[in-house]
Amino acid sequence: MLTPLSWLKEYIDIKLPPKELGERLTEVGLGTEKITKEKDDVIFDLEITPNRPDLLSIIGVAREVAAIEGKKIIYPKNKIDITKVKPKKVLPLKIETDFKINQRFTGIIIDGIKVKESPTWLKEKLIKIGQRPINNIVDITNYVMFEFGNPLHAFDYDKIEGKIMTVHQSKDGEVFKSVDGLNYHLPKGAVVISDSKKIIDLCGIKGGFNSGTFEETKTIFIRVPVEDPVLIRRTSQALGLRSEASSIFERGVNRGGTIDALNRCVNLILEFSGGEIASEVYDLKKEEFLPWKLSLRIERLNKILGIEIPQKEVLGILENLNLSPKLIKNNIETTVPTYRNDLKIEEDLIEEVARIYGYNKFPKTMPQSGIPSMIIPYFKDYSLENKAKEIFKASGFSEIYTYSLTSEKDLKDFGFNEGHCLRVDNPISREFEYLRPTLKINLIKAIVENKSNFNKISLFELGKVYLGKNLDEKEEPYYLSGITTGKNYAQVKGIIERLFWEFGIKEDPSDSIGVIEEGIIFELNFSKLLEKANFEKIYKPLPKYPPVIEDLAIIASEKVKTGDLISEIKKQPLVSEVSLLDQFEETRTFHIVYLDKEKNLTNEEVVKIREKILSNLSEKFHAKIKE
Amino acid sequence: MEEELLNIKNAAVSLILDAEDKKSLEEIKLQFLGRSGRLTFAIKEIAKVPIEKRPEIGQLANEVKKTIEETIESQELKVRSQESRKRVESIDKTVPGIKPPVGHLHPMSQVIYDVVDVFKSLGFQAADGPEIETDYYNFEALNIPKDHPARDTQQTLYLDTKGSKVTPGEVILRTQLSGMQSRVMEKIKPPVRVIVPGKVYRYEQVDASHGFEFWQLEGFLVDTNVTLTDLFGTIDYVLRKLMHEKIKIKFATTNFPFVEPGVDTYMECTVCKGKGCSFCKNSGWSEIMPAGMIHPNVLKMIGYDPQKVNGFAFCIGLSRLVTLRYHMDDLRLLTNPDLRILDQF
Repeated sequence: MLTPLSWLKEYIDIKLPPKELGERLTEVGLGTEKITKEKDDVIFDLEITPNRPDLLSIIGVAREVAAIEGKKIIYPKNKIDITKVKPKKVLPLKIETDFKINQRFTGIIIDGIKVKESPTWLKEKLIKIGQRPINNIVDITNYVMFEFGNPLHAFDYDKIEGKIMTVHQSKDGEVFKSVDGLNYHLPKGAVVISDSKKIIDLCGIKGGFNSGTFEETKTIFIRVPVEDPVLIRRTSQALGLRSEASSIFERGVNRGGTIDALNRCVNLILEFSGGEIASEVYDLKKEEFLPWKLSLRIERLNKILGIEIPQKEVLGILENLNLSPKLIKNNIETTVPTYRNDLKIEEDLIEEVARIYGYNKFPKTMPQSGIPSMIIPYFKDYSLENKAKEIFKASGFSEIYTYSLTSEKDLKDFGFNEGHCLRVDNPISREFEYLRPTLKINLIKAIVENKSNFNKISLFELGKVYLGKNLDEKEEPYYLSGITTGKNYAQVKGIIERLFWEFGIKEDPSDSIGVIEEGIIFELNFSKLLEKANFEKIYKPLPKYPPVIEDLAIIASEKVKTGDLISEIKKQPLVSEVSLLDQFEETRTFHIVYLDKEKNLTNEEVVKIREKILSNLSEKFHAKIKE
Repeated sequence: MEEELLNIKNAAVSLILDAEDKKSLEEIKLQFLGRSGRLTFAIKEIAKVPIEKRPEIGQLANEVKKTIEETIESQELKVRSQESRKRVESIDKTVPGIKPPVGHLHPMSQVIYDVVDVFKSLGFQAADGPEIETDYYNFEALNIPKDHPARDTQQTLYLDTKGSKVTPGEVILRTQLSGMQSRVMEKIKPPVRVIVPGKVYRYEQVDASHGFEFWQLEGFLVDTNVTLTDLFGTIDYVLRKLMHEKIKIKFATTNFPFVEPGVDTYMECTVCKGKGCSFCKNSGWSEIMPAGMIHPNVLKMIGYDPQKVNGFAFCIGLSRLVTLRYHMDDLRLLTNPDLRILDQF
């Protein structure tokens, strides 16, 4: 929302310098994104939150400044009051509306106007707020919308056939040509106005070409409606068509403000385009839209804020916000003007007091509330994740974070069936259409990206993957995957074995590790590991008797699996540990620890066990000892 | 005899003080104190001294022995420190260290662990929820019904419902973590102190400061007497712990349908120290932590009585926090697997 300082000053005397005013506006809720100095003016670019349609108007912003400065604003003076004027002539126009889709329909006919260029002051004002001047009638309706926050639209009265306006909802696919000459296929349910033959207005969003105000227009009907927020929003979204008016309506326009806006507009039109009022004021409304009562308990205010703002100051703040506060015992009774339809509950008033008082004046305290002692639902122990990551870090792996969304092409290239992956209906691009079922794809791509700068690359990621052919079967477990070009299979397996040992998991990770063109790759279901993990560690007393240790070089066909040889050796009761020392062609050297927990082992006993081992290996694997 | 003992002492001490290594000290020790050493020999000779002079001579001999032993001991210390100095001097200290082949944790992980730690010290437990979320938890339970204009600020990615029983439009990729407020609190009673780090998704075109996937941290605290000043205090404490004790922060009013009053937190830009730079879009401030007192409607939908309990909720833009902490000028650096970036952390 572009807001010129000069325009604000028409309604309120501002003492604060622009920079400080910007800071205060931000503090009270009008995020000041930019302050631009022009030659004789300062323009504030304000971010307006969706709950405050009233701030999409200069007077609305002026009211906030008034609350900050503790002053009253001066509303523009009108020469005539349309509600009191008796028109000299009355042109015919029948209005049919439906309060379910159009809560209020205010309007008036003006005859004998002259459409021409707007006066310079008006054009300049519109340009300052980023609007393009068109002609005096369109500009004045625009100007009054930006001034008061109630959108208005001028119809060329002579183009309304049958002199009837009917508010109704469109059928699917009806064509509407907007005042700027574009054709739209309307969705079902858009609120429109038709005359006896055709649609002449897409309510709350855009006027129709066939009823617009152009140079030849002599008579106009000005409509100031209260549209339904949901219906306007749906149509605007379906068409991808937004306007200043639709933004105001979908947030909730000031339902009590139509007459004031119309009055201001008529005064300006009579002054700058001539003509005369040619109808009574039309004001078809569902109900009287009156200010409402809302009360604030002082005790509740203090309890939520955590400080006691003096009562006099609280009342002053509410008074400056035009909320007419009345103190009755320990309650403050307020009357909320119709432009503040964001004020519905007590907490809303609490915010009003707090923000105008100034958030940055509050002391800071630490919560004294209770600390839960039970493990919460959805609990996640980050220290376990960290424990796993630290093992890979210590082993030379670096961690990457990659996107969860991936492309059909990547899935196909890496052998995944995209039909079995979860898909986004409205992806931002084809690159990011599917949810990844694996971390491997991004790891392999990361290796490729690093190849030109590094020789030995080891990367891992711990993140979610998304499984299931469709949403009914969806699962999102954490996977822990890695890839390396600098380590061999046994090294990677050893790191995972170490991880398993830390997590107390007695499993063989061999099947999780693969060998691909780019290097060694692995993928573990980390969520499952956590389910199986057992962090209980119990001390085993050191052996009382010394072990006998020897290295045995065994010759066996390379086809014989090392694991099979080891488990065969381990079958002997007094063998406590077996590991592979090295391997060269057909020779494998095993490091064997013999241990008897009950007594000292004698050489003769060891010789006997060794002979048994050798005869078993020879029998099962045709293996023999290297002489 | 007396003279002989004094000669031995003088000879020994001068030899000891000249010794430059441990080996010569050993030799000197043997030469005087060994089985056939000079002092040992002299002590044996005491037997020939007249009996009345023996105690005096004996005492002198003991003193000489003690002096020699002590001198050797102190010279040994001196020699040892000289030797180690020589060893060090022979080393080229400018040689580059050989680093163990340790990898690096992603800066995001480092920040997440720091954040989790800080909150743990305040009694908050971490929770983790689904990224594939329902429209109910992501929006409706947060006082954002369908057709609410606040939905515009969080453009949503919808999941393909093909082959499932899900109604199209009802299952989405979560746009915020606030849905976890309802998910957790539906199952427990106050007091509640929870944080939820996690990834969120938005239908948003990617640039230096926007992404379609990014990290946030949601937090909420509910009990019988929670105040706005508690929220201000918690935000202030947490940001000081995470960034720097001397950071400047300020609060502003904002609106999210699931809080009232609503709070936005700005932190003075860490890159330009508030002067204005491309990082902070020349404002000198960075929006870092939106928050507020949880809206009574949200508590009601959870099944809490907003007249009896209340609380606050906040959100930290973790991706932004990481970039601010490490002065990274583009959010996309966080998903870039280039080791030249990762090796810096």
